[in-house]
Amino acid sequence: MEDLKLITSAPPHLRSPVTVPWIMQQVVFALLPAAIWGAVFFGPRLALPPLVLAVLACVGFEALDCLAFRRPLTVGDWSAVVTGMLLGLSLPPGCPFWIPIVGGGVAIFLGKQMFGGIGQNVFNPALVGRAVLLISWPKIMATWHVRPPFVLGATSYATPVDVVTSATPLGIVKAYGYPAVWETPHLLFRLFVGLVPGCIGEISALLLLLGFVYLLARGVVQWDIPLFYSMGLVAVALVARQNPLFHLLAGGAVMGACFMATDYTTSPMTPRGRIIFGFGAGALTGIIRWLGGYPEGVTFGILTMNALVPLLDRMLPRRFGVKKA
Amino acid sequence: MKLRTFPQGVFLPHHKEDTAHLPIVRVPEPSRVVLPLIQHTGAPLKPLVKKGDTVKRGQKIADVDAFVAAPVHAPLSGRVAGIEEWAHPTMGRFQAIVIENDGKGEEERYEPLPETIEDLEPERLRVFVREGGFVGLGGAAFPTHVKLSPPQGKPIDSFILNGAECEPYLTCDHRVMLERTEEMLLGLRIMVRACGAKRAYIGIEDNKKDCIDHVANLLRNFPIPAEVVPLRTKYPQGSEKHLILAILGREVPPGGLPLDVGVVVNNVQTAAALGRMARTGLPLVERVITLSGDCLRKRGNFEVPLGMLLEDLVNFCEGFTAPPRKIIMGGPMTGITQVSLAVPVIKGTSGFLFFRNVPKKREYPCIRCGRCVAHCPMRLLPYLLGRLAEERLFAEAEDNRVLDCVECGSCAYVCPAGIALVHLLKLAKFEVMRRKRGGK
Repeated sequence: MEDLKLITSAPPHLRSPVTVPWIMQQVVFALLPAAIWGAVFFGPRLALPPLVLAVLACVGFEALDCLAFRRPLTVGDWSAVVTGMLLGLSLPPGCPFWIPIVGGGVAIFLGKQMFGGIGQNVFNPALVGRAVLLISWPKIMATWHVRPPFVLGATSYATPVDVVTSATPLGIVKAYGYPAVWETPHLLFRLFVGLVPGCIGEISALLLLLGFVYLLARGVVQWDIPLFYSMGLVAVALVARQNPLFHLLAGGAVMGACFMATDYTTSPMTPRGRIIFGFGAGALTGIIRWLGGYPEGVTFGILTMNALVPLLDRMLPRRFGVKKA
Repeated sequence: MKLRTFPQGVFLPHHKEDTAHLPIVRVPEPSRVVLPLIQHTGAPLKPLVKKGDTVKRGQKIADVDAFVAAPVHAPLSGRVAGIEEWAHPTMGRFQAIVIENDGKGEEERYEPLPETIEDLEPERLRVFVREGGFVGLGGAAFPTHVKLSPPQGKPIDSFILNGAECEPYLTCDHRVMLERTEEMLLGLRIMVRACGAKRAYIGIEDNKKDCIDHVANLLRNFPIPAEVVPLRTKYPQGSEKHLILAILGREVPPGGLPLDVGVVVNNVQTAAALGRMARTGLPLVERVITLSGDCLRKRGNFEVPLGMLLEDLVNFCEGFTAPPRKIIMGGPMTGITQVSLAVPVIKGTSGFLFFRNVPKKREYPCIRCGRCVAHCPMRLLPYLLGRLAEERLFAEAEDNRVLDCVECGSCAYVCPAGIALVHLLKLAKFEVMRRKRGGK
């Protein structure tokens, strides 16, 4: 009996079954309903190439980076797949094939690997990729293909076609003013279900919320950041005397609140920091929409708050056994 | 049933079903016992016997002239075979008294206490507790009489009996609460009288409903105000600070003790052992432990003499179904891994767990998921403290309250990146304390 080979290790000797790849896979699952709806609503020919290319680009560039810098291959953690999904779902349907590839390269190289890889980056990689695309090719990033029955705003086409370009609700607000958007019948319902032009995976608030509820049930995300993000956005909408529900449902707000602002690495760890972060990102989203040059403010709103995370992480919780923090 | 608990913490698979239903089995006296000169938190003892002496069961064999210490008694009658360095379950190796059983069964007992506990002088009770060698039998092994001696100006209003038993696998306290209830409640009265508390609470998690009902029944017509507090099963509820928070809503200040908020906490098994001594006069020479895991042939709850060697226990349990790869003293969340079967049962041994299957969690870089922060029952930022420890930034770790850490292991349990956070935080605490003492 004395020839036992025994392992010694520090406690705890029990570990939860939750692992990094499992978490990332859950996020992919949660995004699938919105992705499938994108393929159905815009048609697979418009929606799938950008999405698939974005995922392949992110995974491929991460593998390339690991090889180039002779680091262990990290694509097995599935985080590059999540970045690719988030980037692909926030691209306009029918965009040129090189858009997701350039975006994925920027997201992975500039947004993630240059900081040291998973867990080290300051800015949400998918949003870094999207921001660079938005600034560099504003026209492409604002060309919204959609099937004719769902077109919004002024459009002219002489012969019957299967795809047209259209404005988005937020685009109409920026171009023609806030009241103009309400000329669309059943606007809020169409925004909620996902019957409007927009990014591939951002149009259906319903399906994104479904995915978010799945992540909540699986214990993958916490509810606090999306809640405070919404409060920030609603607050600005009220100040601007615009319909808060419209702002919550339009554009990338649900995607931003539930899937971008909740990114682990680029959101705060401290409870109070998370409140400020969420509220700030939501408020900035609303302010950019209302007063800024871009129709949509989710990307820059969240990226700006990302920069504050190291500071917000210093807001320690109230110490155990001490009345005041 | 209204259940109380504390904020944060974790829900664990508790694995108690293997042994919770098994009554306590008395293990026959072994041929030899080994009693380390330190089995408590405090000053090491000095032997009162020498090689060749004969000792009786219950005879005091080691003590020291220090307040924070508890004497050790011979658990069987026999001859002192030596005082030598021996494998110790938590300290590597330590001086220990080795006694060989002579089979004569001779005993030496203290005078039992009268049943009229509430009429006795608290000081007499504290001396009785110290002489009996009592320490916290939940695992921390802090001398009981010290807890029962509140300093001037810190009155105690509440006494909590800790029946949470929140560590997975362990069921010894569960069985003691069911089978030794009368002795436990007598011990409770002694401790309440000794510390001057006005009211007693017995905290029991709701995965032990049979204990909650049984103890509550026996509390009818109890001579002092006492109640069972059912707790929502959550880890680390048995941690003193969190038990106090769950039951009384009070938070022990940083670096403070329960008595700073007017509370004394003791383990149910300590009370049961004390109650037994009050009746029989026999000091702390045995305890109930759980032997469990996935490769021990006969698992269960056993009453064993202190100093019994692990190899003798394993033989009594008919050995292993497969060789274990990990042996843990205590529960799986805070227990200490063992490197040999030569270690003895000490006062703080709540059990030994034997595992063949030792899953290894792959380690990833921290992804800042925030689980450690969301679950830490002390509201610390374990990810940050772990990183500071890795970078040897111990002053910063202290500024970020690393000394508040109770080492419960919740952070490392939930970490999806498999980071050894407790390992890192223990290192940081050790280094901070060393620097405080003036070490370089």
